[in-house]
Amino acid sequence: MTPTGGGLPASSVAAGGPMGLRGAPEPVVVGRRTVRRRAPEATPRGLARLRPGVCLGFIAALGIAGLALASPVQVAVLLAVTLLSLWASGALRAAVPYLKVALYVGAFLALLNPIFSRGGLDVLWQTTLGPLTVKLTVQGIAFGVTSALRLATVTLAFALFTLVIDPDEQLGLLSRLSFRSGLVLSLAARLFPVFSRDAARLADAQRARGVELDRGRRRERAAARVPLLAALLTRSLERAVDVAASMEARAYGSGGRTRWVRRRRWTAADVLTAAAAAVAGVALVGGLATGAFAYDFFPLLDDPWAMLANGWWLALAVALAAPLVVTRPWRR
Amino acid sequence: MAEIARFDRVTYTYPGAPRPALEDVSLRIDPAEVILVIGGSGSGKSTLLRCLNGLVPHFHGGVFAGRVTVDEYDTREARPHDLARRVGLVFQDPESQSVMTTVEREIAFGLENLGIQSRAITRLVEEALISLGLSHLRHATLATLSGGELQKVALAAVIATQPHLLLLDEPTSQLDPVGSEELLAAVRRLSEDTGATIVLAEHRVERCLHLATRVLYLESGRVAVDAEPQEFARWAIHAHRELLPPVARLFAQRLDGYGAAHAAADRLPMTVKDARHMLDVIEDSTPHRLPHAVVPTDGEVVLETRRLRVGYDPDIPLLDEVDLTLRRGELVALMGENGAGKSTLVRHFNGLLHPLAGTVTLLGRDVASLSVAEAARGCALLGQNPGDYFVKDTVAEEIDHTLDALGFEGQERSGKATRIVAELELAGLLARDPRELSGGERTRVALAAVACGEPALLVLDEPTRGMDPSHKVELARLLRGWTAPGRCVLLVTHDVEFAARAATRVLVLGDGGVLADGPADEVLNGSLFFSTQVNRLLRHALPGVLHEDEIGWGGTLQ
Repeated sequence: MTPTGGGLPASSVAAGGPMGLRGAPEPVVVGRRTVRRRAPEATPRGLARLRPGVCLGFIAALGIAGLALASPVQVAVLLAVTLLSLWASGALRAAVPYLKVALYVGAFLALLNPIFSRGGLDVLWQTTLGPLTVKLTVQGIAFGVTSALRLATVTLAFALFTLVIDPDEQLGLLSRLSFRSGLVLSLAARLFPVFSRDAARLADAQRARGVELDRGRRRERAAARVPLLAALLTRSLERAVDVAASMEARAYGSGGRTRWVRRRRWTAADVLTAAAAAVAGVALVGGLATGAFAYDFFPLLDDPWAMLANGWWLALAVALAAPLVVTRPWRR
Repeated sequence: MAEIARFDRVTYTYPGAPRPALEDVSLRIDPAEVILVIGGSGSGKSTLLRCLNGLVPHFHGGVFAGRVTVDEYDTREARPHDLARRVGLVFQDPESQSVMTTVEREIAFGLENLGIQSRAITRLVEEALISLGLSHLRHATLATLSGGELQKVALAAVIATQPHLLLLDEPTSQLDPVGSEELLAAVRRLSEDTGATIVLAEHRVERCLHLATRVLYLESGRVAVDAEPQEFARWAIHAHRELLPPVARLFAQRLDGYGAAHAAADRLPMTVKDARHMLDVIEDSTPHRLPHAVVPTDGEVVLETRRLRVGYDPDIPLLDEVDLTLRRGELVALMGENGAGKSTLVRHFNGLLHPLAGTVTLLGRDVASLSVAEAARGCALLGQNPGDYFVKDTVAEEIDHTLDALGFEGQERSGKATRIVAELELAGLLARDPRELSGGERTRVALAAVACGEPALLVLDEPTRGMDPSHKVELARLLRGWTAPGRCVLLVTHDVEFAARAATRVLVLGDGGVLADGPADEVLNGSLFFSTQVNRLLRHALPGVLHEDEIGWGGTLQ
């Protein structure tokens, strides 16, 4: 017995406290009770409150707009709407890895484009490399930066899809097209964290035996982890077999499968967001068909601000921003 | 009454296995029976269950002889998915049996596969959620659930399909006492309310023998005993007493003095309630506590934590202000509900995790300042799954791997290798592939792999999970031997009976800190859940007794 420190009065335990030790001899109690509560199950908010089909429609409109529009200001507005949608849905932090990928690739685009775009007239700097003349122009820089912003918008729209619509709902949506593909997606989402935990456990088991996995040069670290790969592969195969057995025992593959659609009333937010997505779709088609969204970077930049007063754009912008209001993300 | 299932001379061998997993098994299962299947690791319990839903032979392959019928379906012809409407199976590992990502969808998965209409699925999902008290988790992601919650979801997913025959393969092996009680209560309710037939494979007999109407004891793939619980108990008194619940063992001791004829005629209690009633009516003898040795607790300090705060989020620590001291010669059990932070805490002892605040001192040095090898020399940690430790082709190579990593050389190294092989009786296994060993052997090899450096502190995380009673007895003996030369053992466990038998001191975690810390007989005495059957029975008359070995019969009640 090691009496160390004070804290929770022994009497409170013996009097039928957490362990129900009523009438028992008092054990020595140490430590201080602290408030530890498991975080409550997150309540869906923002776009996550919407029916998955409606949410998918809105995200599709956002992503397609990100691909179709070219004006730097318009693209910046779309990116802002996408980031706000992630924030409103409580998924901004989880989207950071997607954002990093977009930033790395976008930065690459933004750096390369100005060097190899030769159509701009406002030359900032020029040099000759053998037969090649490299001109750094305002237009080239604007095109590169805008391309990076478009990439970020589309990537984050994809993040919205994967993070806001849960994998089972995605399966529900995809199963209308192909159930097996949807199931693979769902299984991947389900088992990825399990495999990650397996990998972490195997690595910890080695560390617990004194094996240094994190020291030395990259080659040494890789060599130390090689035995883990075989063990992880074995474990993954065992898990895959177990899951397959479980699926078979639960009638998977018996034919005549139905699809459970959770009965869910259309809310005002669903109706308004669906309408907003439809308006956005019409505005996109209209704007593209009439050339209202055309924007030229070369040889001189079109005025990006002038396009903001365009009716198609205004309709698109309002429609894409509407779900941020109608889903009332401030309501927890 | 029409039978629900039947085995006719079934012999089954897994592909590539040297001997059959089941051999010449014949039995009949009637409606509304609750059958408890027990037996050592590898005795064929899981295989027997898998025969009943057709996974054997359809999924596993192998050589199958004989015949299993379920509701007139011959499992040689009916595939598992054909039987799924009649037979539901809950597997041992909840992680590996779920397919979808959210609770509701997981429960609906089997119903969708059975072709049930969407509206009916909604009702069945709802009923399953309510019956297991899972309504509040309906939208939860499975990855965020505890083991107990996940196992309940697995059970809900199976009972939603309303099977006639429910198979449960060690469903409580990963649950704390509270979670186990809840799960088994749900099973009992299901059996009573719906008349479903239940076949339950389980090692922890004390948890479920009272639920059973019949017991099957398997030995090397054969049905050694098929009897109703009292008959089984009378057999076990002489053949395998460790299979009985502790209160039954306690009363079996009383019968020892009366000879075999008396023992054969008498009833044994299966629950504390039964035992209490029997104690009231016994007139000829009373239990008393035998003298017990007081374990000295003044050994050198091995590990010390001061104001330790642990967790993964600084704003929501799992544990805070933890002050602990572990000493040489102690065998300490660390207990607490699922999610209390037990495994997280001990992973700070060898530096696998770093504290949010406070310090951990191992053999006088701050763990944060130690290299991985230095920490492992002082503190060995054996996790919940022995298979995690196997990365080499033979047992001998596994031991060498650790000794290499710890930097031992020459005579010191060979001495340590020789001692661990002798201590854990591994001489006959050195050339074997550790992955191909039986459950108990794998645990011993994994223990050798982490402990061959002879660290001062050995931490074992849930070492008895899935372990049969005879292996537990062996493990308790082994751990007591480990502490004899002045080493310390810390057991993280839900297994109260094992902790009571093996540990000299018990720590209970809960509510973000250490709730109780003291000698086992003080801490476990009187607790509602973290207590043994014998203690629950005798806590008022003989405070502090934990298991039947501390009890003698005769004289007057003290």
